[in-house]
Amino acid sequence: MTRTFDLEVNGVAYPLTIDPGRSLLSVLRGEIGLTGTKEGCDDCECGACMVLIDGQPVNSCSLLAAQAEGRSVTTIEGIIDGDRLSEIQAGLLDEGGVQCGFCTPGMIISATALFARNPDPTPDEIRVGLSGNLCRCTGYGRIIEALAVDGVGRADRPAESGS
Amino acid sequence: MAIAAESIDRRPRLVRADGPEKVTGTALYTADLRMTGMLAAKFLFAEVAHARITRLDVSGARLVPGVFAVLTAADLPDVRYSAGVADRTLFARDVVRFEGEVVAAVAAVTDEAARRAIDAIIVDYEPLAIVDDPEAARADDAPLVHPHWADYESDPSLVRHGNVAAFSSIARGDVDAGMAQADVVVAGRYVADGSHAAPIEPRAVVARWEGEKVTIWTSSQVPFAARDGVCETLRLPTNRVRVIVPHLGGGFGGKCGFHFEPHVAALARAARRPVKLVFTRREEFIAPDRRRESMIIEITTGVNNDGTIVARRGHVILDNGAYIADAAFFPQLAAMHVAGPYVIPNIEISAELVYTNHQPSGSVRAPTAPQTTWARESHTDEVAAAVGLDPVEFRLLNAVDTAKIGPTGQTYDEIGLIECIRRAADSAGWGRPLPDDEAIGVAIGWWPSFPVASGAYVKLDSDGAGQIITGAQECGTGAVMTLRRLAADELGMQPDDFQIVGQDTAVAPYDVGATGSQTLFNNGRAVVAAAGQVAEQLRNLAADRLEASAADIVLDSGVAHVAGTPDRNVSIIELAAIAARGELLIGHGSGQPPATPEISGTTCVGDQGMAAWVAPQFSCHAVRVKLDRDTGVVRVLEVDAVHDSGTIINHLGAVGQVEGGVMMGVGQALSEGTVYGDGRQRNAALLEYKLQTAADSPTVRTQFVEIATEGAGPRGAKGLAEAPNVATAGAVANAIARLTGERLRRLPMTPERVWEVMG
Ligand code: FES
Ligand code: FES
Repeated sequence: MTRTFDLEVNGVAYPLTIDPGRSLLSVLRGEIGLTGTKEGCDDCECGACMVLIDGQPVNSCSLLAAQAEGRSVTTIEGIIDGDRLSEIQAGLLDEGGVQCGFCTPGMIISATALFARNPDPTPDEIRVGLSGNLCRCTGYGRIIEALAVDGVGRADRPAESGS
Repeated sequence: MAIAAESIDRRPRLVRADGPEKVTGTALYTADLRMTGMLAAKFLFAEVAHARITRLDVSGARLVPGVFAVLTAADLPDVRYSAGVADRTLFARDVVRFEGEVVAAVAAVTDEAARRAIDAIIVDYEPLAIVDDPEAARADDAPLVHPHWADYESDPSLVRHGNVAAFSSIARGDVDAGMAQADVVVAGRYVADGSHAAPIEPRAVVARWEGEKVTIWTSSQVPFAARDGVCETLRLPTNRVRVIVPHLGGGFGGKCGFHFEPHVAALARAARRPVKLVFTRREEFIAPDRRRESMIIEITTGVNNDGTIVARRGHVILDNGAYIADAAFFPQLAAMHVAGPYVIPNIEISAELVYTNHQPSGSVRAPTAPQTTWARESHTDEVAAAVGLDPVEFRLLNAVDTAKIGPTGQTYDEIGLIECIRRAADSAGWGRPLPDDEAIGVAIGWWPSFPVASGAYVKLDSDGAGQIITGAQECGTGAVMTLRRLAADELGMQPDDFQIVGQDTAVAPYDVGATGSQTLFNNGRAVVAAAGQVAEQLRNLAADRLEASAADIVLDSGVAHVAGTPDRNVSIIELAAIAARGELLIGHGSGQPPATPEISGTTCVGDQGMAAWVAPQFSCHAVRVKLDRDTGVVRVLEVDAVHDSGTIINHLGAVGQVEGGVMMGVGQALSEGTVYGDGRQRNAALLEYKLQTAADSPTVRTQFVEIATEGAGPRGAKGLAEAPNVATAGAVANAIARLTGERLRRLPMTPERVWEVMG
């Protein structure tokens, strides 16, 4: 038994014919080939699989792909603005908020949603806002520092810089 | 006399070279790989702690549509392996000794088909007595985890008997006389639960054969050890096995050793297709043979009324789990931490690594240190209180320092522990008034640097762009990224002029991997040596071109010039173009690892070389905590972490290591502990095994006491990545004890346990 529908991801409509029991995470990674969204637990506990659905942060392991039909899904691959890193991406990079990088896509999605709700969060609001995203490497310090830094003066820059 | 530390941290920040792909989601990790015809692997785990296999029938699995391969022990060479004691096989043979033991493996067209095949395997067990308590397991009449332990091949330096896989002791001076002469003797017993590395990336392995050669992509911290493990167990020469590590999603020791690469390689050979294994989170909790062991730690200290420690006796029991993995040196390492970075003239400390039917223990970030340090630093506060001394004063009085003799008879060159203690206490505001639900605790720690062989190549191609081809493995710490700075400085270039090529055993020379905090320490030496050869080539070319002596050529800012006359110059790009038409710019390096220091007057039984430490690292952590007296919930508010790790070459990366290590320490202190029932883990999920979240994260202030250490790594750097995971739990314990009055001697210090000691 399969189901056929279009799924809109990062502004592109993907025609899918899938088992209706599959999670959004499994379809993003396995069918559509967007592997930036990570699987850390498949149990709604780590936040590595976080995506935006109509702008809201959601663990993509926690819902069926079919439930996202008719809605707009944004993954980490859709966060970059043309060839420029978003302020959040550039900030995490510059302030040492990225180590192994496995939590990073979910963390950036989460932070993007946080800043959309609250453009000037305090460090404690950042702590709470990111509390659904586990990071084992950084201890969160550099991540919070990066996001708490006043966004002014952290101009967008090409994705290649820093390499 | 040490050379002065360069203040490298004031130079522009070294932004990690692999950062852009990581923040954009384009970085590929092992689980992201897909290949034509690729099959999914799945394992059948024992799911019981100790049993004899009375029937194993895989015929049903072979009939499931879409199944290409089914393997058990019967299909592979009968090889026993492991470092120290060859007690392990790839698949269970006759007996399963822990719940995560692999009984069978399948490869099928889809995950679903693989799961159905696993379900179709019939296995019957006859239960065997579960060895659950490492203390009781030492008794002469205790059931044996390995009845044939005496027949296993083993390292002759190990002292073994029955369930005791390894015994070690360190003794110096005369402890009986010391205790007799002491004014006060204080004793304590401390019990720590086991815990997990818990990287956010569960492990994954992909294997593909081409003819007689196999390429394995794996989430390993140690690609060369993974390769050697495959070669040993599948009986292949090293040049037919190529191990590649894509981006690695953290390890913390949990991905050291080799685990499942041979199983997947064997499946791929049998199926004649590429095969991919990806662990679920539960499998990541129960199956790897790297977890932090539970411990029972007993310490007795004799101290004089003036606060000088005169003698220490100690005993540690470490839960080894079912197989030894890499834990053979743990007893002696644990004994070193029970001694601690204190001047103690008389010590006698022993430790036993004991087989149980638990998951095997192995190197997790600073193995043995957080638990033993938590116990010893708890004990240290108790000893200080017994003689009426302030904990900071007591540590300043007894800690090891430059030119002093440590507990195992090692005399230290310039070290900065005293300065670490002073700065941590100052920064935390030790002694200041606090609300009555808050307190500050301090703890100190130490950790060795590990000198081992390591190699790298450096080349500049025709356009002057550089590549560092290294055996070193990046696991997130940024240590490998930092190699660019070392190469750049050697060649008068910029870090951005270099790309790192590596994590591929067929391409780069050997390195031990992302283990033992040693990447910069050893591979840094190799890169400096390799870049030095290229620098020599450039100086010769420039000397020719500028009609000067090679000895007078200076490489700086992308240019070779004659010393004293910067105008007489030629760019490195031009020199690279010249070299491209003649002798190519290629350097190779390894260099001699620093020698182990002498120690005097110490006797070791079961010696594993852990009593003398090269370039020891020191730290002091001061933490301010808040206790909710109604619930026992402790929150860590602030941490001052001061470290002597020698010269710091990448300041931003170093701060990241300290903050991550501290947070892991907070987790061990408060929430992370494996719960066992019937020999099985009862909390093998992130909901029940609680990692710290951003909401829990304290403000961490990191400082480095930078001493360019002789006989250490490049520029006097020591190791760093494990040291921050040593002292935190002890400092938290001491802060809690100040608030509860009663001392809690169980780790983790969960709300229930804190609440219980409050009475
Ligand atoms: S994979 Fe979805 S929350 Fe962990
Ligand atoms: S950077 Fe490794 S888990 Fe966050």
